[in-house]
Amino acid sequence: MILSLDESQALAPELVIVAGIILAIIVPNLGDSRVRLPLTSVRVPILWGGRRFELTSDPRAPGVLSATALAIACLLSGSAIESADGMSISGVIQVTGFSRFMSMIFTAALAITAIASIYRIPSTRFTPEDMVDPDDSIESSLMDNRRQVDLHLLLLMVALGMSLMALSSDLFFLIVCLELASMASYVLVGFHKETEVGGEAGAKYFIVGSIASATGIYGMSLLYIWSGSLDFDSLAESWSSMGELDPLAGIGVGLMLVAFGFKVSAAPFHLAAPDAYSGTNAPIAGMLATASKAMGFVAMMRVLVGFAGPNDGVIAWGLALAILAVITMTWGNLAALSSENPKRMLAYSSVAHAGYMLAALAALGSGLADSDTQDMLQMAIVFHLAVLVLFKLGAFLVLTLIEIEGGGNKISDLHGLARRDPIIATSMFVFMLSLAGIPPLSGFLSKFLMINGLITTTSGTGALDADGVIPWLQSVDPFFLLAIAIVLNSALSLFYYLRIGLVMFFEKPGSDSPLPPALGLRALVFVSMILTVLFGIGPASQWLLALLETAIASF
Amino acid sequence: MTFTDPLSIITLVPLLSGLALLILPNILPQHISQRMQSSVRNVAIGLSTAIFALTTLIFLGSIGQIDWLSIGMGSFVLETEDPVWLIESIGVTWHLGADALSFPMIWLTTLLIPISMLVQWDVERSHRFHALLLVMEGALVGVFVSLDLFVFYVFWELTLVPMFFLIMIWGGEDRKYASMKFFIYTFTASVLMLVGILVMYFNTADSMFSGSLTGHHFNLVEMTEQARIGGLIASEGLRHLVWLLLLIGFATKMPSVPVHTWLPDAHVQAPTAGSMLLAGVMLKMGAYGFLRVAVAIFPESTLTFVPLLVFLGMASLVYGAVVCLGQTNLKRMVAYSSVSHMGLIFLGIATMQPIGFAGALFMMFAHGIISPLLFAVAGSFKHHYHTLEIGSMRGIAHHSPFLAGHMMLGWMGSLGLPLLAGFVAEVAIMIAFWMTFGWWVLLPAITLIFTALYYLTSMQKIIFESNDPHQGILPDTLHGEDPRDVTWHENVGMFILGALTILFGIMPFIFWDMMSVWSTEFIETYLIHAMNALEAMP
Repeated sequence: MILSLDESQALAPELVIVAGIILAIIVPNLGDSRVRLPLTSVRVPILWGGRRFELTSDPRAPGVLSATALAIACLLSGSAIESADGMSISGVIQVTGFSRFMSMIFTAALAITAIASIYRIPSTRFTPEDMVDPDDSIESSLMDNRRQVDLHLLLLMVALGMSLMALSSDLFFLIVCLELASMASYVLVGFHKETEVGGEAGAKYFIVGSIASATGIYGMSLLYIWSGSLDFDSLAESWSSMGELDPLAGIGVGLMLVAFGFKVSAAPFHLAAPDAYSGTNAPIAGMLATASKAMGFVAMMRVLVGFAGPNDGVIAWGLALAILAVITMTWGNLAALSSENPKRMLAYSSVAHAGYMLAALAALGSGLADSDTQDMLQMAIVFHLAVLVLFKLGAFLVLTLIEIEGGGNKISDLHGLARRDPIIATSMFVFMLSLAGIPPLSGFLSKFLMINGLITTTSGTGALDADGVIPWLQSVDPFFLLAIAIVLNSALSLFYYLRIGLVMFFEKPGSDSPLPPALGLRALVFVSMILTVLFGIGPASQWLLALLETAIASF
Repeated sequence: MTFTDPLSIITLVPLLSGLALLILPNILPQHISQRMQSSVRNVAIGLSTAIFALTTLIFLGSIGQIDWLSIGMGSFVLETEDPVWLIESIGVTWHLGADALSFPMIWLTTLLIPISMLVQWDVERSHRFHALLLVMEGALVGVFVSLDLFVFYVFWELTLVPMFFLIMIWGGEDRKYASMKFFIYTFTASVLMLVGILVMYFNTADSMFSGSLTGHHFNLVEMTEQARIGGLIASEGLRHLVWLLLLIGFATKMPSVPVHTWLPDAHVQAPTAGSMLLAGVMLKMGAYGFLRVAVAIFPESTLTFVPLLVFLGMASLVYGAVVCLGQTNLKRMVAYSSVSHMGLIFLGIATMQPIGFAGALFMMFAHGIISPLLFAVAGSFKHHYHTLEIGSMRGIAHHSPFLAGHMMLGWMGSLGLPLLAGFVAEVAIMIAFWMTFGWWVLLPAITLIFTALYYLTSMQKIIFESNDPHQGILPDTLHGEDPRDVTWHENVGMFILGALTILFGIMPFIFWDMMSVWSTEFIETYLIHAMNALEAMP
């Protein structure tokens, strides 16, 4: 099947990623090998194999290649948000503004991960001076190159899976794309095989993840039995024509929530996440906490809002999700309080943030929200997913810097960071404050929009003449309590976020040596910090929200 | 032009230039940044003096032709007119304005910053110290000028950061404990306050300031107006809850007993300039916010909780005074006297009389001049005698006549000697107290005698007793050296503060008139209605 010109234009970001994958395979293998034409003495260069060219076999080439491809894909997705017209391609893909917005987030997160990985997984360049034994160094250079190719191929695969997942208009295709991204990310988690925990983390993440996926696929098969089709439109039709909840459909959706719950690391499916985050290297952990989580939420929204949603008759999942949300955020925050490993702490904080977003999602299922409020809740969730890429991934980038010099697994590695590098420490502090939701940073704005959505949803329910707080609380809809839960949990989370700030500024550093130079990484951290502020206050935040509004309109 | 009005300038210029001065030495090449470091303090003091001159010009009416006595309640001087959006989606605007409640505080802030820089002119790593003071100035002025609760809250929290660093880096031996305690107390309290602000936010009606997504706004002027017309929050219980949340935030900052314990620690450990700003301006943020937000928007709750206010005020007044009697540490004594005086502010508000409000306002201002003088004196005592123990030293009048003179003037001002600034405020509050509570006025009046008592005994001990150099007692910490008098820059700073103490004692009407007009109108506009409603109830 060949794409038409319009279709390939609509799918340009994905095609760029595919091109990146193909190039990543071909480029390192280019060489000066020649083939002798039969019966002649003419040797024709075929550019494949033989002695590799110095430029193409540079171990840093795959990293640069993947980062470039992802960045281009990100820009293309971003520019297509407003022009996407909902074109349907072969019945499984629908190019909407919303899916383009999401693929922009995914590719942005992965581009940052790719750049950070260039610094994190060091590559040694083959230089003639090193040639003690020429064959040896060529060999090792080649191995190094291969390893880089593997890593960046996997990152591109993840990007392709996620991006297509956002585009899918069919549940089966959605699951396939989700699995493509998941499988690649399992390998990425275990990629750091030199360390013992790396392998363990990968195995654990893989086993738990595949069980969750299997459960989800089983749920999908139940949905297929019930509806006879997995296309979102026909699923929505079946759902709205269903008088009361069909157990088959209910169980199907419930089981799918298990698979997506694992992706967003919602309790109680989050148990593998802290081990995976702390076992793998920081850029990959950051990718799991941002892009992978966003993928889970998009899948969840596609199922819960897309066809089993508040406008389609029976809503069965609101209360269940609300309870799950409260458990998730509380568990995450309590566990993060006692974490001594910064990556583990960020993992639990990511669990807590999943809880906040689940709470907003639950409000969508309460059946109380009118369509404006529904849009607002969805905007809040997606806005949070978008700005998480800045400050969550940013925090992991700082940890990457510390990992490069060999630390990163103990909170004491952060001691006295301000004395060693004031700008990096300040950035880290801004990320922590934003995670905690301190105004005027973007973390506050997104959390505030979620709380606002929750309160608007339940605004008609409290008795206005109640003469006391307790009677008023009794008269208000229980979904209002979700807003209070978010506020209380945010207060709780302040302790561990501020602790990071304190140890950075006021403990004695373990060593006085400056942090590794890694200019590109530093630039990323700095830009993330600036954007964390700009997307919280001022015209930039307004711009992003306006863009998001067009995106949500086409959900 | 949006950010070029005078109030924006006195907020943003110190804030941004302070931040720039903090960041630049980290970025610029080594040799430039080293040359820059020595001139940072000159830039800082020049800039803050210019800001002070600008503020004074605003006061004198040269900018904007202001008549301070006829502003009218609910409108502000130099108020921002069109909404200048900061976050349009949730309704946050850059909305500034000043009135008789905030302007004396703004003037005081801009005055105290250059003076505290001058008093602590020679300090280690001065390029960071003086830049932090500039940041502090921007944040403090921002609290007083912003009429948008979101911006108000951001500035409120922002004041914590420079003060925290000032104590943590330039403080005394126990600085770590003190700064942590300071941060945790005030931060927790202000987070509770934020919850109260959010509840208010979600009850605001649609207006031109409303956010495009949420339909609510943070604008304080609109909120107050809405509260005056129809009540901001319908449920009475919720109103009381919000009022209490706000009270916790503001009372901790003031500070009032029982949430005052961070203050003595912070003061004793803080560097002199930090103490001066802490006592001079930061404590007043609590009283300012209480009047501006809690009293203006929830007058019924305020009237309902008047007994609580009287209790808090009396407790702070008496407790502060009694603790002072037993203090041997000079700075700790001054810190507790601040607690005591902040109690008087609560009492003044609790009277619900125009003269009581005006007295509280004037107390905020007078204490803002006198207590920095006291802390400057205590700091310079520590600097030259290397101790803060009251009993370790006798007869400094002989060794350091200037220091002794400033010390006496400050203490006299603080105990409320007639013709000094503190007296006006105390008398006004006492009169109002008598008008409302009758002979109960004896209770605070007798406590004021305690204030005189502890000041006079310490004065007797430190300044006068046995000034014979052969028999006088010098502290061991001097190690036999001869004590010195204050340095010239300390002297200049203290002279200015002392002169202002006398000036505002003789001519209180400079600020008193506008404060008294403001108080009368405030009570007429916001409180009379609530009082009548309460009286009408069975």
